Amino acid sequence: MLDRFSQLVCILALIATATPQGAPIFDVKSPRGLDFTLQNSPTAQKYLIETMPGGVALLDYNNDGLLDIFVVNGGHVSPMSGSGPDSFDRHDPRYWNRLYRQNRDGSFTDVTEQSGLANAGEGNYGQGVAVGDYDNDGFPDLFVTNYGKNILYHNNGDGTFTDVTAKAGVAGGGWSVSAGFFDYDNDGKLDLFVTRYMEWDLQHNKDCGGNFHTYCPPGEFPRTTNILYHNRGDGTFEDVSQRSGIAAKKGHGLGVAFADYDGDGFTDIYVANDGMQQYLFHNNGNGTFTEVGMEAGAALNADGGPLSGMGVVFQDYDNDGLPDVIVTTLPRQTYAVFHNDGHGSFSDRGLQTGITMLSGVTAGWGVGLEDFDNDGQKDLFVAQGHVLDNVEKIDPSLHYLEPPLLAMNRGGGRFEPADPGTHAVVAARGTAFGDLNNDGSIDVVTTVLGGPPQVFMNRGGSNHWLTISLRGTRSNRDGLGARVQVNGQTRFATTSGSYESANDKRLHFGLGPAKSAKVEVLWPSGTHQVLNDVAADQFLEIREPERP
Amino acid sequence: MMHAAITVLTLWLALQTISPEATQHWNAAQHAEQQKQFDVAVKEYRAVTQLEPNFAAGFVSLGQAFMEQRDFSSALAPLKHALELDSNLLPAHQLLGYALLAQGYAAEAIPHLDRAHEQGALGIAQEETGQFSDAIQNLQAALQKRPNDPDLLYYLGRAAGLLSKQSVDTLLAAYPDSSRAYQSMAENYFVLRQMAEAEKQYEQALKLRPDTPNLHLELGQVFAMTSRWPQAEEQFRAESKLQPGNAEAAYRLGDALLQQGKAHEARAVLERSDRLQPQMPETLYALGKAASMEGDASAAEKAWTNLLNIEKEGSLAAQAHFGLAGLYRKQGKTEEAAEHMREFQRLQKSGDTSERQ
Repeated sequence: MLDRFSQLVCILALIATATPQGAPIFDVKSPRGLDFTLQNSPTAQKYLIETMPGGVALLDYNNDGLLDIFVVNGGHVSPMSGSGPDSFDRHDPRYWNRLYRQNRDGSFTDVTEQSGLANAGEGNYGQGVAVGDYDNDGFPDLFVTNYGKNILYHNNGDGTFTDVTAKAGVAGGGWSVSAGFFDYDNDGKLDLFVTRYMEWDLQHNKDCGGNFHTYCPPGEFPRTTNILYHNRGDGTFEDVSQRSGIAAKKGHGLGVAFADYDGDGFTDIYVANDGMQQYLFHNNGNGTFTEVGMEAGAALNADGGPLSGMGVVFQDYDNDGLPDVIVTTLPRQTYAVFHNDGHGSFSDRGLQTGITMLSGVTAGWGVGLEDFDNDGQKDLFVAQGHVLDNVEKIDPSLHYLEPPLLAMNRGGGRFEPADPGTHAVVAARGTAFGDLNNDGSIDVVTTVLGGPPQVFMNRGGSNHWLTISLRGTRSNRDGLGARVQVNGQTRFATTSGSYESANDKRLHFGLGPAKSAKVEVLWPSGTHQVLNDVAADQFLEIREPERP
Repeated sequence: MMHAAITVLTLWLALQTISPEATQHWNAAQHAEQQKQFDVAVKEYRAVTQLEPNFAAGFVSLGQAFMEQRDFSSALAPLKHALELDSNLLPAHQLLGYALLAQGYAAEAIPHLDRAHEQGALGIAQEETGQFSDAIQNLQAALQKRPNDPDLLYYLGRAAGLLSKQSVDTLLAAYPDSSRAYQSMAENYFVLRQMAEAEKQYEQALKLRPDTPNLHLELGQVFAMTSRWPQAEEQFRAESKLQPGNAEAAYRLGDALLQQGKAHEARAVLERSDRLQPQMPETLYALGKAASMEGDASAAEKAWTNLLNIEKEGSLAAQAHFGLAGLYRKQGKTEEAAEHMREFQRLQKSGDTSERQ
């Protein structure tokens, strides 16, 4: 009797935990304690900035093994007073950025004030976030982009952060959007790249759309430059935008992602520009960059059309070892899939991959290529929602609020749509990817204009997996920029990509039925490290050999 | 048109004889007109008409002076009086026609404009009175004399639209549940980009008459606009079956297949479209793209080069240059690639300029 009872319990448990065939991969949740609302504060004046926030980062700020969530807030427009023009107000706690510490039970605790992150900078309107351990002290630091002054928060290692912007010299200015830490000169210290959108201020905003009053397209405003900071290693950065050639190209920069696309050992930069050609900055290896998007075939879509590039991911979707680029765009453009053909050349494979078909009438922002079902193929997730909050008035076949796109990679370079676990339509923006509950499956967090974040908890499955943390010794401490290959799959170590957001720094690989893996790491220092017969289903730290 | 009237009037006037005092006022009026002092001209012409009450030209000129001041209402009486004195006076018909039209009396303006052979204004007046077919005819005739006149083009477009609406209204009133009525409604929704409604109406139309030419084609375009390519493919395939000789149906089917990444199948259908209607630039571009996707560089090169032989300017030509540039770049033919890229950029720039204009 007891045996039968145990058997029944086991069967019931299996039914409860197994992901049924065809069931959504994600369970969309509102974790306890994650009480954030993204305040973009839309106005009748249609300030363009209102539709652009905000970022989200998944980072383990206190090194307790659990990912925490940092979300960037927009701000509030203080209407023009007698003494001056409109400005942004961040004083009210509703407009603060927020850091949520994850608790052991999967709930979150708001630790914004105690961690020293409450001050978002008066006059700033928040945009994005980058994560990187710029001083190699073992604790991830935060860089927050704003319209206004950007802020670098140094992680003190005791649960608190200190605003070190002034000392570091990275305040920038203007309208910064996305940012990312990477080591462009392989000196073991993380440098910083910041995209900027346009020359714009509240006094020179425009209202387009005639009677409908809509946000204006970027072409209505002058282009501007992106910023590259070189890490001096003493807690300060040098603005090398001019010297490196980055400032030679003005654009309408939004998303940014990094990878070494031509295998020359130096990390390159891809910038998603809005309403124009995209930029691929080739790292010349001598501290300078050359913009080669057009020559490389990664600047325009297959028909030579410009793109409203917003989010970008720079990873290898077809397991050929070369990083590809996917750029999210506005409707009627379709998301661009720039396949890396080798020899520094790309071709748009939107049609071949099926992504064109899935993105004809949607607007995409945050984007990631992650193996959600651990089958060894990276899948695509895109946060969606149109720029214009009244787009239906202009084109009733388009929608401001949209569900996300989940497209499963079926191998052979083809993606198929899948149920993302929610049909709720929202204006989603920033998106970060990581394993929130350390169950070996990648979860997703998106930000939503005027609403709480969406948390897509992966239900998991029976496939095996391997998650790798890099511990650089001669390279930067987190090994950002390393190329890691596991059973024929390749990932480029980065926390950047998506839109305005920062991902879990750990590298996740789905192994399918394989119970072990061969792991190869090409460190930024040039060291090539191979590990054979690595057991599946574990979190593995790989330490860079001290000597080559 | 006013200047022509003045010339005719001046010639005609040379044949008339009026008193010296009236002539003095006449000259003063003409001088004032030259100086653009139309209020003075009105005063002087009025003096002429008072001194010479049977002098029709005086009344025409008085009417014209009022019209120069945009006082169409005051122009009506002297112009009408001029025609009472001489019903064959064409300048009076012309000016009265314009004045009546400007005052909103389109029906009354028509006989005068017709008499004066003012086809443009006549077309406008006919459009105002609901005579759309006649309006289109006259506006087209006027456009032959003044090609690309924006006002005439505007009114022609409007008249054609209103004629279309009139036919549709009649159709909907007489046969509200007919296939054509649903089709017509669907087309309106499509133009308004209300795709869900358009889809419903097309489906209703198809239910009633599934063999109506172009219904599947149009419904397919609704699906294409909403990026539902498998459904679009189904409709274009149905249209191709219904009209095997229809090149557009074949092209659209090929494009729907291409959008789904089915390059091989697309290519076969596009080749059929090309055979049905050779030298269609859209088909050639899509053919090149399908061939390129299949890795058949020489077929892609051939299709795009053919396209460029037909069309040297415009967006499709630009796209073909861009495609060729990419193709040559991959083959290591850097000079050819650069040349096509230059052409692509030139066409892009000229496209941007014409868009701004």
